[in-house]
Amino acid sequence: MAKDMTFAFFLGCIMPNRYPQIEKATKFVMDKLGYELLDMERAACCPAPGVFRSFNKVDWMVHAARNISIAEKMDADILTVCNGCFGTLQEVNKRLKEDETLKIKVNEKLRQLGDYEFKGTIDVRHIGEVLGYDIGPWGIEDLIVRKVDIKAAVHYGCHFLKPTKIREIASSEKPTLIEDFIEAFGVKALPFKEQLTCCGAGGGVKAYDGNASMTIFGEKMKNIDEVKPDIILDICPFCHLQFETGQDYLNKNKNCNYDYPVVHLSQLTAYCLGMDEKSIGLEYQMMGKKFEFGGEELTGKEAV
Amino acid sequence: MIKISDVEDKEKEVRQFKTDDDFDPEFFKDIERKTNIWSCIQCGTCTASCESGRWTALKTRNIIRKIVLGDLEVLKDPDIWLCTTCYQCYERCPRDVRPTDAIMELRNYATKLGNISPNHRAVVGYLKKTGHAVPINDQIRKQRIELGLEELPPTLYKYKEEGDDKDLKKIEEIMFDLPEPKEKKEEKK
Repeated sequence: MAKDMTFAFFLGCIMPNRYPQIEKATKFVMDKLGYELLDMERAACCPAPGVFRSFNKVDWMVHAARNISIAEKMDADILTVCNGCFGTLQEVNKRLKEDETLKIKVNEKLRQLGDYEFKGTIDVRHIGEVLGYDIGPWGIEDLIVRKVDIKAAVHYGCHFLKPTKIREIASSEKPTLIEDFIEAFGVKALPFKEQLTCCGAGGGVKAYDGNASMTIFGEKMKNIDEVKPDIILDICPFCHLQFETGQDYLNKNKNCNYDYPVVHLSQLTAYCLGMDEKSIGLEYQMMGKKFEFGGEELTGKEAV
Repeated sequence: MIKISDVEDKEKEVRQFKTDDDFDPEFFKDIERKTNIWSCIQCGTCTASCESGRWTALKTRNIIRKIVLGDLEVLKDPDIWLCTTCYQCYERCPRDVRPTDAIMELRNYATKLGNISPNHRAVVGYLKKTGHAVPINDQIRKQRIELGLEELPPTLYKYKEEGDDKDLKKIEEIMFDLPEPKEKKEEKK
């Protein structure tokens, strides 16, 4: 049993190296909720389930097992804010726990990388399920410092929920946990056409064929644009990157004029729990630089 | 009248895999074990649910059929790299086939044959050099400081800077070895 109220914070690649504001916001939120986040020293890429699993599945598992074993040594469950990292780490963790033969095979190669061994003593968690289920809208109510009046297009991404048989979180056809959670902040989720489709970045497609990736994304944006939300809310830095660079690409190449701010669930939660707007970091992003969350400060509570 | 034995013979004939020098016939047996692929009834739910195939040449049902028939051309098919791994086909398959996993197996095999795009090679290069598929840059270092975070996150790359790069060296040496394309090798000879 891993330690209570403590997580080994798995950073991954895109969050610390492209959107550090999400890292900042996540630390703020987890601190407010009373969790301790531990640094995972020497952790590396998860590695990404689309690309690296495509090249060599065994190495993909070995590399993931290395990351998991770092958290095992700290006796803490892993927390990730990225669907890709979650996809890799949750799946490999589960598989190796269930399959002794595979575990032996993976550990054999893992030993060659250093003093690492997969034991199977911890779980891997995504911030979406920690906030959506463990904390829940009922658990966040007392900590809210600001309520906002904004409309959001919620994008779940693929690997948070699918494959449902492995993730066991919620239905992949009609999930509501994120919508239910953000309602506590006053955010209204706007349903839109084909809401649960892919952003087009995964599976190595963004690197392999940028045009194909942008075509899939273009359709996504068209459907979002129909409901005119104030923000696009995601739970994955890779989707975040796709929504940011993708809008810019469509504006420059396809005669579009999009400027929707892209906000990670950690950023929105941090704002409503009182983090200063500058640290939310929209000014560092490509889209919606001028967007202000606004909203009313609740009396008797102070922002920091 | 068609006898069952005739059908079985025909099946056997179809499943005579076209052999390639390096081809391991165990590969298709392995795929069946891992992805339940011979339960496929070619209903097309996978293609109909495919978010990439709606816009690209990727036709999941055809790929599954080719695997079942042992058609090795599928290993050179560029379309297998257009799957975004959204898992919609996997979720909806009425026969519990796992097409996403099957495509992953194909990509693994294609990689062994050296059939891998230059962009994908570059991503593997980043991982081997920095421990990250997306490495940090100067602008983000600055931004991290402005946000009150450490300039470098406590990941493997930070320790490389300190000259202590044992882990990264080993990753570079033994992980994700990508063979050159077969044709190229022959040219060199």
